[in-house]
Amino acid sequence: MEMIGHGGKPLVEQVITDKDQARKVIKDLKTMPVSRQMATEAIGIAYGFFSPIEGFMKKADVEATCKKMELADGTVWSIPIVYDISDQEIADYKIQQGDKILLTYDGNPLAIFDIEEIYTYDKEGMAQDVYGTKEEKHPGVKRTYAYKDKFLGGKITLVNEPKIREPFTSYFLTPRQHRELFTKKGWQRIVAHQTRNVPHSGHEWLMKHAYIAAHGDLPVEQQETLEGRAISGVLVNCIVGEKRTGDYIDEAIVLCQDELRKSGYFRNDIHMVTMTFWDMRYAGPREAVHHAIIRTNLGLTHHMFGRDHAGVGTYYHSYQAHHLLMSIPKEKLNITPIYVLEWAYCPHCGEVTCVGLCGHHKELQKFSGTKIRSIIMDEVKPTRLIFRPEVFDVVMECSKKYGFGSPFVTTQYLEQAKPAFSIEPL
Amino acid sequence: MAETFPINIWINEERFNALKNAGLADLLKEELAGMKVLIVPCTASQRDKILELYPMAKFDAATTKSIELLPKAVKDQIYNLVVEKKSMEVMDEFIKSVAKS
Repeated sequence: MEMIGHGGKPLVEQVITDKDQARKVIKDLKTMPVSRQMATEAIGIAYGFFSPIEGFMKKADVEATCKKMELADGTVWSIPIVYDISDQEIADYKIQQGDKILLTYDGNPLAIFDIEEIYTYDKEGMAQDVYGTKEEKHPGVKRTYAYKDKFLGGKITLVNEPKIREPFTSYFLTPRQHRELFTKKGWQRIVAHQTRNVPHSGHEWLMKHAYIAAHGDLPVEQQETLEGRAISGVLVNCIVGEKRTGDYIDEAIVLCQDELRKSGYFRNDIHMVTMTFWDMRYAGPREAVHHAIIRTNLGLTHHMFGRDHAGVGTYYHSYQAHHLLMSIPKEKLNITPIYVLEWAYCPHCGEVTCVGLCGHHKELQKFSGTKIRSIIMDEVKPTRLIFRPEVFDVVMECSKKYGFGSPFVTTQYLEQAKPAFSIEPL
Repeated sequence: MAETFPINIWINEERFNALKNAGLADLLKEELAGMKVLIVPCTASQRDKILELYPMAKFDAATTKSIELLPKAVKDQIYNLVVEKKSMEVMDEFIKSVAKS
């Protein structure tokens, strides 16, 4: 059955699953090794996470993305997906327009790249358009300035599917697999929670808020009270990608999010955790649009957006992402945003509450993810109203098992942790 | 009064008892459903100096306006100074001591 993705277009699936056929089509192709980032983006393109994009962008799409926040054909698109390359590499690998190149990762075949265009682009202009700043201290701008001088555009076809390592194996689903699982579960409404964090109670309540909001117009008879009969759910889709020191390690993020369900803070049949490979750009509002696009492709109907979605520092206003999403005509984004205020602890109420509901404004205690990370770094166990004890135990287990003694990314983790996926010999 | 930017030093039970026995429990605040915290204030220039000395630390400009993610060993030194001086105004001395070493 044809699946429809972002922009009302068929979900992209460019994967050769038959190994014999794959070996045949790559025979005699020129090869070029790719970095982890390019490998994950090639994988993302081929499985359709970035539908309707079929490959690394050509100049017309990059230009339209930067200037108008859409693809050349008018489909909403907010972040350029580009393959950068130096003149030296073009010469070394003898790359010409019209070539078919075999991209390799870890020395093994990964994907065929049809080189449809070789072009240049003004990186400073790209940074300004996408991130709203040219300051190199913005991590997305820094990444843009680090691009090499040329770009390759063209279609990607995966010839060798990634092997996902434990503990991530069961959490990686392609867009098709997400949709098949939702059908099996009988979920008709699914709300996304975008995360790169271990959950504290503020996150938990954001998810609960979004779940309830996504149901608001349904008859109560359809809001099933019996476990196993839910018609809607929360999908926690963890972003797994480039890490910076001080971030939570990916293993802790995925396993701790799942612990909320395992420990009963969410019912088994309404909560699910998966992951998507993506290097955060911290593009704030534009990244929020990108997240909405990815989750549309996963088959979700709703997406929760909170305060400072995908922002960094003080580059964006707290709710700038909401305003950008609101400016997009509904028919151009096939997912319903759910805008939520933050949740905080109120000592007067003795509970975690929505800052938009509680009247004890001066008493509210905000607990940012950064603050909670500081508590854990101080080796102090947070109170259960703030951070679920079962989640804390999983954080500590992950620290020992995967983090070389720390639940946070350290230099040792960056140097020695195994990537979440590998490409095996074909 | 000029705005200050806190360093939060979270206190476990063992340290809480030690502070109580030393008569310093009044220095603590209670936050987040019963957690004990020493809130050590920094001026804007002290904050900038700390962020320069410890690049892994982060100023949470968006939510709490506090300096977070300082290594535990650093916070331990600040904690020890607070206990020794029986005062929260220790950041100048702390920065000087780090700059010397």
